[in-house]
Amino acid sequence: MKKLALFTIIVLVFGTISPSLANNAYAQTDPNILLRIAIQADKQVVNQLNNIYSNQVPKNIEILYDEGHTAVNSLDESLSNNDIEKAKRDFLLAMNSFMQISRIISQSSENVVVKTTLDISNQKISNELDRLEKYVEKLESISKKHNDVAQNSDKFPTAYSLIKEIRNQISTGENPSENINELKILVDSIKNDMRKSAAEKQSTAIKRFFERLIDQIDQKVIQVKDSGVDQTEIDKAKGLILEIRELLSKNQINSAKIVYSELKVVLKNIGISVRIT
Amino acid sequence: MTSLIEPTQLKHSLGDDGILFVRNDSIFDTMVKTPLLVASMIIVAALLPIQSSFSSPRDLDLIIYPDGTTHVTTEIEVDPFLTDYELNLFGSTIDNLVVIGDNEFLLDTNIIDDSVLIQTFGTTVISIEYDIHDLVSKQGKLWTFYLDSPSDFKLLLPQNSAIVGMTNLPINMEIVNDQNQLTLSSGKTEIDYFFSTNTITNPIVEPKNEIDYFSYLIIGGIIVIVLIGITIFVRNKQKNLNSVEHIEIPIKNNILNLETIFKLKPDLREDDKELVKFIFNNDGEALESELRKKFLQPRTTMWRAVKRLEREGVIEIEKKDLQNLVKLRKNMEEEQ
Repeated sequence: MKKLALFTIIVLVFGTISPSLANNAYAQTDPNILLRIAIQADKQVVNQLNNIYSNQVPKNIEILYDEGHTAVNSLDESLSNNDIEKAKRDFLLAMNSFMQISRIISQSSENVVVKTTLDISNQKISNELDRLEKYVEKLESISKKHNDVAQNSDKFPTAYSLIKEIRNQISTGENPSENINELKILVDSIKNDMRKSAAEKQSTAIKRFFERLIDQIDQKVIQVKDSGVDQTEIDKAKGLILEIRELLSKNQINSAKIVYSELKVVLKNIGISVRIT
Repeated sequence: MTSLIEPTQLKHSLGDDGILFVRNDSIFDTMVKTPLLVASMIIVAALLPIQSSFSSPRDLDLIIYPDGTTHVTTEIEVDPFLTDYELNLFGSTIDNLVVIGDNEFLLDTNIIDDSVLIQTFGTTVISIEYDIHDLVSKQGKLWTFYLDSPSDFKLLLPQNSAIVGMTNLPINMEIVNDQNQLTLSSGKTEIDYFFSTNTITNPIVEPKNEIDYFSYLIIGGIIVIVLIGITIFVRNKQKNLNSVEHIEIPIKNNILNLETIFKLKPDLREDDKELVKFIFNNDGEALESELRKKFLQPRTTMWRAVKRLEREGVIEIEKKDLQNLVKLRKNMEEEQ
């Protein structure tokens, strides 16, 4: 017994302290990444300065750059000396200097137009379409797992053919906004189908959860009856509880959820917390 | 006259250096009540995961697209005894929100400003994905990412982007599909980046995986402790086996056969059915750790599967020697 107790203590002590040890180890992963990031930033800043100012870099930027570059050299040295704390300070100093330079550069070059407006607009639509496609793919993967209504309809193939059509429109310079709107409506409809299907398939579990919850809320409402709470609120709560029970008995779970959100507001006014036990 | 005090029991063992050894066998029992210590340690150990479990993101991954839109993916443990969960989104311009629960069914959501109310209804873990436009701003050619994160997170920067400024220290950096992926700590983070048109002469080299001997030491220590524990457990079990056997036989006989279980629960997932088959063939019970080993599943996935079966009323979970013992229920038919 004594050995078992001692063993338990060792395990518990180890179990308690090991997460903090792991965190410390995690926070110190390869300090050389600091140098790599700082060198990359340094080179990028030099490129930007060469592109914009050639050899006539403004004095204030030059001072900032010298400060940042010196900090990068110091960071390299600190890492060689295994002085991690100083390396961290050098890194932050370097990155702060480069950040200031970049912001000054970006302010002065704000008016430089790199692409035509149409290019930018097409690029924006293309990016939006990429995201919509990923969204459709995500919904389809969920739908496939449950073989639900959306999966068995032709909505997913329609969505993909619309995406293809929009891509063609972008490449030929046509306006795809109408098709994009159609695609968005279609995706919303797919999502609704999937929600309905999920609600049907999970109805038994949700109904059981709901019934337990409503029973407990009912108990709590009875308990607070004599504690000076406004009777109208209690009556309102009781009415809503009855309504939810009726909807659950008819398997109308979505409607029950809507009534429940009303009940939650009333319960909050009464001062009852909603958590089943 | 001086009196000399010597420990009589160890008189002969005093060495040249004069170190005094005192028997301390009873100090532990007299000064500290062992059961009290064990109980308090158990409470501390049990509270630690609870403190950090509910409502804290397990994983938080962000991908910045070239146009500055950010894709957020996160997984959060929620209180299964609540009907809904309110999650703070990182902004109010949200697109393509997908929230799925335990059984990978879509959950109902309602976005209000920069938060979303998710109807969880007994779900223990929710996975959330969405696109957000609020995290990256652009001035001239400079892009700035800003986030006040509740937990550590991974950030995948767009291809050809070059970091030119950041306000805090990264935990790690990797190259994923020619893109920089930073691991950053919780709190406020600000990162400035340009899209690089010029080739960087000194590309970032993938960090080498250096051997972390300290981590190995910790893992090794844990393995040794677990092995000792298993040995003690097995020995104790062998001692008690004969006395327990006569109680177990009638219990096994009461378990329904597989066909009946699947007939009573036609909606069980295929992978859950496999679990039930394994438990059935294992005399109707198995440790959760055995299930994990058998099906090569991570701890959380298996825990969710077991919880799912418990909710379905197929199994019951008992604590046995600090482990979860999963048993097929004997009174399923009556409940139906």
